[in-house]
Amino acid sequence: MAVRRSSIVAIIVVIVGLLAFNLLKSGGNLGNFGITVLSGLFQGMLLFLVASGLSIIFGLMDILNLAQGTYFMLGAYVAYDVQHAGGVVDLTSVVPDPNLRFPIAVAAAIVVGAALGVVLERGLLRRLYSRPIFQLVLTFGVSLVIIELIKFIWSTTPYSWTEVFGLRTQTFELFGQGFSVYRLFIIGMGFLLIIGIALLLRRTRTGIIIRAGVEDSAMVEALGINVRSVFTLVFTLGCAIAALGGAVAAPFLGASSSLGNAFLLQGIAVVVLGGMGSYEGTAVGSIMVGLAIAVAQDAAIGTSFSVLPSITPMLVLILILLLRPSGLFGNTR
Amino acid sequence: MMASKLTRTLRDNWLLILIFIGLLVFPHAVGWLTGSSPMGVPRGDRMIMRGESVRWQAVLIELFILSILAMSYNLMFGFTGVVSFGHALFFGVGGYVLGLALEYTQMETGTALVMGILGGVAICGILGLLIGLVSLRLRGVYFAIFTLAIAEMFFIYFGRLSLTRAEDGFSITDLPQWIDPAQNRLNYYYVALILFVLTFLFIRRLMNSPTGAVFKAVRENEDRAQSIGYNTLNYKLLAITLAGMMAAVAGMLQIILNKKVGPEILGITYTVDPLVMTIIGGIGTFTGPIIGTTGLHLLETVLREATITLGPIVIRVTDIWGVLLGGIFILVVMVFPQGVVGTWARWTARSAKSEPPA
Repeated sequence: MAVRRSSIVAIIVVIVGLLAFNLLKSGGNLGNFGITVLSGLFQGMLLFLVASGLSIIFGLMDILNLAQGTYFMLGAYVAYDVQHAGGVVDLTSVVPDPNLRFPIAVAAAIVVGAALGVVLERGLLRRLYSRPIFQLVLTFGVSLVIIELIKFIWSTTPYSWTEVFGLRTQTFELFGQGFSVYRLFIIGMGFLLIIGIALLLRRTRTGIIIRAGVEDSAMVEALGINVRSVFTLVFTLGCAIAALGGAVAAPFLGASSSLGNAFLLQGIAVVVLGGMGSYEGTAVGSIMVGLAIAVAQDAAIGTSFSVLPSITPMLVLILILLLRPSGLFGNTR
Repeated sequence: MMASKLTRTLRDNWLLILIFIGLLVFPHAVGWLTGSSPMGVPRGDRMIMRGESVRWQAVLIELFILSILAMSYNLMFGFTGVVSFGHALFFGVGGYVLGLALEYTQMETGTALVMGILGGVAICGILGLLIGLVSLRLRGVYFAIFTLAIAEMFFIYFGRLSLTRAEDGFSITDLPQWIDPAQNRLNYYYVALILFVLTFLFIRRLMNSPTGAVFKAVRENEDRAQSIGYNTLNYKLLAITLAGMMAAVAGMLQIILNKKVGPEILGITYTVDPLVMTIIGGIGTFTGPIIGTTGLHLLETVLREATITLGPIVIRVTDIWGVLLGGIFILVVMVFPQGVVGTWARWTARSAKSEPPA
């Protein structure tokens, strides 16, 4: 893919600008700066987990899955439920070690996300390919149903993660500031996932079909390849990854019914910034939006404009839509 | 000449006129049937809002408010084909402007009410125009998420704004006596009813005019409408501006009814409700949004107390109302995309066709 030089310049300018602003604001305090960068990367990785599915699904199937944020939220609830005593599934007596229960919780979240993804694609969306506006409206409706179901099952009170396990408690020192090892673990996992999905898209036959489908799915179908089954695969993967994101974010963010909308909008901001359907764009966009949020959080400390970090993704989204709707890596068709 | 026109209007609209008369006498009829006063119960020099008639008035006022909101949404979504996910923005901003005018200005109550209403409608109109101007060149999905982002931004912002007491919101205490729903609910009922009827008549008049025809042309095929020579952007702008102003009126009615302004009126509920109700009722029809709203709202009111027993589990319907609503919505989108009114029209047309010619 030919990336325009202006895009690369823009990316570098924005990232360097954000970092320089933060460095100046913290008065050369490297500890503070380091923490901001790391927490930006952490948020960027969470965003990537929501946005990657959003982007590939949109590129391949022309569906903006407005339920993607809800799958993230669902992942958080399932992971919380499996990890903690009480709730729908109580594993505390079966698996008493919280360190061991956490991977199980994450796996459960992925399975639930994937299962509901299959249901949504196979059962509902597939029948609506001739009516695109209704697909959009349908995903909106499905997210409503899932949110209401979650509220019914787990009540409307937000949960905060109380179970302590190894990684979550350890911290390390960076220029005199403590930073959670768990967050570092998420950052590492995020990078691995970015590379893993890139390899899947570049090196495997399925990946090649997906990329060809993003370019022109009718042509791929004409070549005798069953695009529909690839649709299901991609949609399921997207939902599973979003649920994974929610599960690994839950130890920090807890589980609440406002997570879905927040992460949906942030994810959309990332996808639009990167360019709809562009995988590289999503990866770069996640890191940029994550950094922007972290810098805004740092900048808002002690000022009266504490709302800034929450509305940063919307501001990014609105600005990009106004200035360059095709995004950084998008086609200008 | 005049007489024949009048009789024709009466003949074409007899059902609507009948419903209107029914709504006019409704509070008195309920009062008469249940032996309660439509004015509430007097206590000293104040009125207490108690009794079946007053209770049902509140239900119907909510119904009128949601219907106005749904009709305004339908003007954009159903008639012009502009999909917005930020309709709550206008609803909420209208409510906030009126609330601020009533509570945060030094004006005399009556003046504040008038200024708040005019100001709120004007601001929402301008807001619609601005949003449209900057974003309507985006198509379909992009416009939808743009509106979603703007609405969510306002929601978060007002949820943190200490001037309007952030998440808690503020209550409306300073209201002219004659319109106060806690004192003279019957008056307020008629105000809401009249606004509801006016909105309906306005949209019907508009859609039967040449402008309305262009709206539909934009929905059906924007490129073609453009190549015929219409500046489709202007028509879409008109639709979003008008819809914004109507939604503002609905928001104002809502805050007066609840006597409270809080960020929840900017929340996604007031985008989801009109969308869901319009689609269930029938998009792009005059009565669809009203039928959808009426059916669902009355169903919710009636089922509020009901329970479902599944073996040992007893479920209160209120708790799963959202799930039920969403389920109905998905079913309609999948099976009856034309909604109640559209499907009905299709069935009657089909059965008329299948009759042998006389």
